[in-house]
Amino acid sequence: MKGYRKYFLNKMVWFLITLVCAFILNFILPRLMPGDPVAVITQRVTQGMQSQSGVQAVYNQYAELFGTKKPMLEQFILYMKNVAQGNFGISFSQYPRPVADIIASSIWWTVCLQFPAIIVGWLIGNTLGALAAYLKKGFDKVLMPVSIFVSNFPAFGMAVILLVIFGVGLKWFPTSGGYGFDMIPNVSWKFMWSVIVHYQLPFWSIVLIAIGGQAIGMRSMSIYELNADYVKYSRFMGIKDRKIIGYVFRNAMLPQVTGLALSIGTMVGGALVAEIIFSYPGLGFTMLNGVMGQDYPLISAATLIVTLMVLSATFLIEILYGFIDPRIKAAQSD
Amino acid sequence: MKRLYFVITMFMVMAMVLGACATPTPETIIQTVEVPKEVIQTVEVPVEVIKTVEVQVTAEPSTETFPRNETLYFNGQQWGSVVCWNPYSSNCNNAMAITAQDSSRVTMFETPYLYNMLDGKVYPLLANGDYTWNDAHTEITFKIKPAAHWSDGTPVTADDVAYTWASNIKYETNAGVNYKDYIDSITAVDPQTVLVKSKLDANGKTVNPLMVAAYLSSNYVIQKAWTQTLEARTGGDATAFKADAAEDVVWSGPYHKFFADDTKVVYVRDDNYWGQDASMWGKLPAPKYLAHVIYKDNAAGSVALAQGEVDVSQQFNSNVQILWLNYGLPVSTYLPDPPYGIGASLPTAFYNQKSYGLDQLAVRKAIAIAVDYDTIIANAMTNQSATFAQVPRSLMNPTPGEQALYDHAAVADLQWTGKDIEGAKKLLDDAGIKDTDGDGWREYNGKKLSYVATCPNGWSDWQAAIEVVAAAGKDIGIEITTNYPEWAVYQTVVTDWQALPDTGYDIFMMWSDGAGPTQPWGRIRHLISSEFAETQNNWNGNWGGYKNPAADEIIQAIPGETDPAKLKAAYTDLVKIYLTDIPSFTLMYRPQSFHAVNESVWTGFPHQDDGTNPPVPPLDLTDGWSIAGLYNLTLVNP
Repeated sequence: MKGYRKYFLNKMVWFLITLVCAFILNFILPRLMPGDPVAVITQRVTQGMQSQSGVQAVYNQYAELFGTKKPMLEQFILYMKNVAQGNFGISFSQYPRPVADIIASSIWWTVCLQFPAIIVGWLIGNTLGALAAYLKKGFDKVLMPVSIFVSNFPAFGMAVILLVIFGVGLKWFPTSGGYGFDMIPNVSWKFMWSVIVHYQLPFWSIVLIAIGGQAIGMRSMSIYELNADYVKYSRFMGIKDRKIIGYVFRNAMLPQVTGLALSIGTMVGGALVAEIIFSYPGLGFTMLNGVMGQDYPLISAATLIVTLMVLSATFLIEILYGFIDPRIKAAQSD
Repeated sequence: MKRLYFVITMFMVMAMVLGACATPTPETIIQTVEVPKEVIQTVEVPVEVIKTVEVQVTAEPSTETFPRNETLYFNGQQWGSVVCWNPYSSNCNNAMAITAQDSSRVTMFETPYLYNMLDGKVYPLLANGDYTWNDAHTEITFKIKPAAHWSDGTPVTADDVAYTWASNIKYETNAGVNYKDYIDSITAVDPQTVLVKSKLDANGKTVNPLMVAAYLSSNYVIQKAWTQTLEARTGGDATAFKADAAEDVVWSGPYHKFFADDTKVVYVRDDNYWGQDASMWGKLPAPKYLAHVIYKDNAAGSVALAQGEVDVSQQFNSNVQILWLNYGLPVSTYLPDPPYGIGASLPTAFYNQKSYGLDQLAVRKAIAIAVDYDTIIANAMTNQSATFAQVPRSLMNPTPGEQALYDHAAVADLQWTGKDIEGAKKLLDDAGIKDTDGDGWREYNGKKLSYVATCPNGWSDWQAAIEVVAAAGKDIGIEITTNYPEWAVYQTVVTDWQALPDTGYDIFMMWSDGAGPTQPWGRIRHLISSEFAETQNNWNGNWGGYKNPAADEIIQAIPGETDPAKLKAAYTDLVKIYLTDIPSFTLMYRPQSFHAVNESVWTGFPHQDDGTNPPVPPLDLTDGWSIAGLYNLTLVNP
């Protein structure tokens, strides 16, 4: 147990160091981008304004309000104080809307789209990959090319194909939005059904691409494991195929689990392509606009959430690995 | 485990199949909507006479689905979520409700007058009759319509107009900052009469009569009582005053907030709207709801237009004509043929006066006449712009009113329509700007002419235009490469003379003013007046740094000039200067607002020669006089 504690503490220290570094970078990097966010805002709010001194006055107002002219260190201290109180500040691009409000209103769309898509893509992909490795022959010959073909599709290409075929052509699914264009959110079966129907195209545009990649990875790992010595030895021992396959998949699954954890960690970054093509609500497009408009508070808050989720996911995976595969713990504890 | 995966897989497949069996796009279900009840309230007026006023209280409609035949759907106006409902704020991103501009959007808040870009006139809205200048041309007087009232039933008064102005100044709103150099005061002479006093110059003349008059059609009147509530809430702090979400705002327009989230915003008609009085529209606007789904890009909006989910489209729909020509959809634009709409602004390529060789007229003119404008208009605008053969270049937009303001014949010999490669080469040769070292590129004083043409990344129509400019350079022996920085970077550079480098931003695109009550004067001023040259935070114009005292003098004189003949001569002189000096050159004409309509549900939209008088402009039935179009709509299937 002492080994586990050392391993855990070691990982915890690295987790904290990485978090501090990421926190500082999340603050600094957006501010190192060339360009002036206040100029972007000034342009937006002074459209039609004839007076040059007026435009200058508006610029000065916002520069003062957002504190962008203050020294970086002063801004950072203020940022830390705010974050400590759970306050990510006011968005530049959607002023006077608080960043927390922007994220709260869109993050659930993203999580509800991404999480099931990642899980389903992962499950189906790994199942198909493992079956291809195990069954070989015809199944593998069909699955492999199809998987390679589909997984290499650019995300926007898949989304557009689904949109054109199932949305515009066959009219099976709506082409845009998170729910009916003629509805407002309410608690009713009609609304729920509308949400489900609108969910389909963005969901499958993510899942289909994920399936191919996962299947290829799992197939390779399974083939490697199926030829491992312990499999041959188990067969000589007369152990049932079903039992052996269980061992094989468990070992082949390890790298796939890491991939899954990372995918879940980064999922709040949003499914940008699906969001844009299907005008689906979510955090991805909001973040893109934040980056384009140099909305420092929004970028910092969103990247901080992504950082925390990725770090937490990898930390948990590393801890779990210590239990699942003692060799890893042993190697890292030395 | 395998069994579990199999079950999950089957479940997902079943879910997909079931989903596929679903009703395609959500069908429109017409449901019973609560009819607003008329409640009679007795209001005691604290004066000698106790008056009884009938106030219709509009019951808040509750609905899950908007009846399709009561809802007018828009796209292209609202991008991103609505942030607030504060008419004093310029940051609400509430495009359908709060857009104070040359043709102000008057769905929820109203201006005294409505500008009509088609005839260049203003028409009374809250105002009663035309405004009048005094003899000295220093003061404007206008009346408020007796019928005009706020959503809370109280009348709109001259005091509201005066208090709005005072608040604009006190809290330094955009309107205040923009007009304070031109308007001295706005006061209430009596409850119905407003007096606007101009700022005067050293000679006792109005500094700028155009700007004073423009205030009346470009800025909202906001209720005094609500403004005082807002002041009390924000403690007189200007930042808080403008940042207030104003969910309790009082309005005078025909629509107000019904619902808003990250995916859409919906406005509902105020059935107690004062405009149904005979002194204004005489009825309510036809749609009960105005709804705007928030699309993420033009492509999604175009699909929705084609699907019949959008009735009025204010966005660039590439090759819009294929919707009716190829697909037979009931989609149309203001004009049935190219350019499909009325051009109003002039997207322009500016020459950076700092760049080497661009101080030479021959170089500037050679590039400008070599550009293939027809290709730009065909590719970048998919022919949604008039060509320069149809509307010769000047400083005017293609509207008939502006085109009549200058003498076309007087500048005819200065015109060019583009793709004049041989003419451009000759011009350069004659100026001694030749390829002396045999590398294929011309040199000026021994230095190769090499430029970067640029515009913001992702602005696809501008990028397509810039590519054509670069191609023209190659044809005449001037190296022009392209570069597309992100907008956040681009705008920081081109709006700040000190940040504008002498290489890298040699030819760059920006916009010009559209149509409005101060145009074409405002546009010309922004394009060539040296008051904007070499300045910082310059969102007005003349970004290339052009200076011409003769042009400045004419620009300064125009606002005070009332003689049409002298005005025409002045504008003609300015066009001559512009076409002679070529500090920048227009690449295409662009409409004030794109305006494509789908007549699957509603019909009666503005079209050329639709018989309306005054003509309803194609500004999406929301801006300026175009809101008159909302009263002309009828259902295709009543």
